[in-house]
Amino acid sequence: MSAKEQDIERSTADRTGDPDRKRRAGIITRNFFLHIHATRVHVHSMKPTYTFGLGIILGFLFLIMVFTGLILIIYYTPSVEAAYRSVKDIVYLVPGGRIIRNMHRWASQGMVIVVFLHLLRVFYTGSYLGKRSLNWVIGVALMVIVLLSNFSGYLLPWDQLAYWAVTIGSNIAASARELTDLIGITSFFDPGGFLKKMLIGGESVGQPALSRFFALHVILLPLSIIVLMAIHFWRIRKDGGLSRPVRYLKDRGTENKLLAWPVLMWTELALLLGVVAVVLLVAIFADAPLLEQANPAHPDNPAKSPWYFLGIQELVSYSAFAGGLLIPVLYLVFLFSIPYKDREDEYVGQWFSGNEGKKLVLWSAGAALLAVVLQLFVLIRFGWLKDWIPGISQWFVLLINPATITAGLFILAAEMVKRRKKSSRMGALVLFTCSFVALVVFTVVGIWFRGPNWEFFWSAAQWPVQ
Amino acid sequence: MIRRQFLHKTALILAASTGVVAALSYFRQFFPRIAGKKRRITLGDSARFPVDTFTYIDEHKLFVYRDHEGIRAVTAICTHLGCTLESTTDGFECPCHGSCYNSQGEVLSGPAPRDLSWFSVNKSSDGKVLIDPGKTVAADEKFTNT
Repeated sequence: MSAKEQDIERSTADRTGDPDRKRRAGIITRNFFLHIHATRVHVHSMKPTYTFGLGIILGFLFLIMVFTGLILIIYYTPSVEAAYRSVKDIVYLVPGGRIIRNMHRWASQGMVIVVFLHLLRVFYTGSYLGKRSLNWVIGVALMVIVLLSNFSGYLLPWDQLAYWAVTIGSNIAASARELTDLIGITSFFDPGGFLKKMLIGGESVGQPALSRFFALHVILLPLSIIVLMAIHFWRIRKDGGLSRPVRYLKDRGTENKLLAWPVLMWTELALLLGVVAVVLLVAIFADAPLLEQANPAHPDNPAKSPWYFLGIQELVSYSAFAGGLLIPVLYLVFLFSIPYKDREDEYVGQWFSGNEGKKLVLWSAGAALLAVVLQLFVLIRFGWLKDWIPGISQWFVLLINPATITAGLFILAAEMVKRRKKSSRMGALVLFTCSFVALVVFTVVGIWFRGPNWEFFWSAAQWPVQ
Repeated sequence: MIRRQFLHKTALILAASTGVVAALSYFRQFFPRIAGKKRRITLGDSARFPVDTFTYIDEHKLFVYRDHEGIRAVTAICTHLGCTLESTTDGFECPCHGSCYNSQGEVLSGPAPRDLSWFSVNKSSDGKVLIDPGKTVAADEKFTNT
């Protein structure tokens, strides 16, 4: 027996000495790609209602993005003159091009939805606890990059949708100007303008912006996803598999563990086929939108960003700085900091941290819904500061609006619960639930209840004819 | 040992400063050399603008207003998030987030943080209207030599 074989022998030795079990463990040990799983996986990790397979579905959707993206990049031309035509060519001239483009679009939307579901799953099962803080941070970073990938891809077809969404997006990047203007230092200190110029290479969206977004979309962001995804998966292995409740934590050897080969691997292959089938079906029956070619002179009315940014666009309609920068940055800081603020490891691997947490989550969701809807009602029915006191200082507009009030209320509520219950996990549950509910409400309002001039309408059927 | 520490430190400092210089110059590549000054715009004869209305000049994203006293020019870019404004009967409205301005370019409602800028208007030697987007003026300042 060679030294290498001895190595394998040692690492795959099974206590039962069963040659078949030894062989199955060896298949994983010997294969680089199958190392995604340990040779033995804890039974609790395989419960479908624990993970819902969301992480691995994201991985599969990303695979679809890469494969369909490869076809698209062959035919796409990243120039202002040719981009729109080349996308039309993909749809009408390339065999199956319509399906490929649709799959790319719908898989990307799928990634946005599943990445949020994955965030919910990991948070509510307390899976950032128990030394998993680093992986949580990597996960949140991945979520941000997935959103940025989506947004950068949005510009490439160079249609009306693309042009105005990115015009708004790039000016949100410059929205620090609202603050520097107020202090009166923009002429010599302009971080907003700096960020905008770096993003789109000029004052308005044009060829430099298209080239930059193309580079981001096909090189920098996918590469970052691949690297971070690899670390994300590797950390799961290093952290001893997926999180599980305290009662299973002592299972360090082979107790309660099943060999990953072949059943788990086959199940995941089936999941891959399922994901591809769903995306394919959607792609056959629903076409990705392509409006008329971008016209920098006239925005569509209403001009909306991609749906997952409409929550932010709603906030931005109160104040560019508060809604576009302050609140989103605060939210990200909150997400990144969760595992460092809450270290109550006893709640690991338990949905909603038991009955007390479950009740708290329900109450928080209801209260947050009420608070946000009430403010929106006042805003839409009676207007806001500028309508009540014409000529009011921009400081008040920036500091007192539904975005900042909502954030302030939630932080206060979470702090109170944390003190009263003497539990950082309970505080985190409140703040996470409230802010997520608010995000959903603002997004829903942005998607369905905002029409021309960003005015409120119960349905698109009521929009004035233009 | 002292010499080793000295060499070790020197090497570290050299490597770090090289890294910083490299990173800065790499970062600089994202900002091309474009003249910061905005070019003046020539718009043709003043008579082509109808009287008492805002005429939208789409390639430069501005409105030109002409009345019997003279010509004024105002930006058509919303100060909120850069959408193109539409002119209404008594001012301007932004289709993106509903900011409203009066005909003086002052914010009436909506999220716009600043009033619209008015540009200096002049006439070239061959009688064409010249607009200088690099130079802002008061809202009621007109170019009267028409």
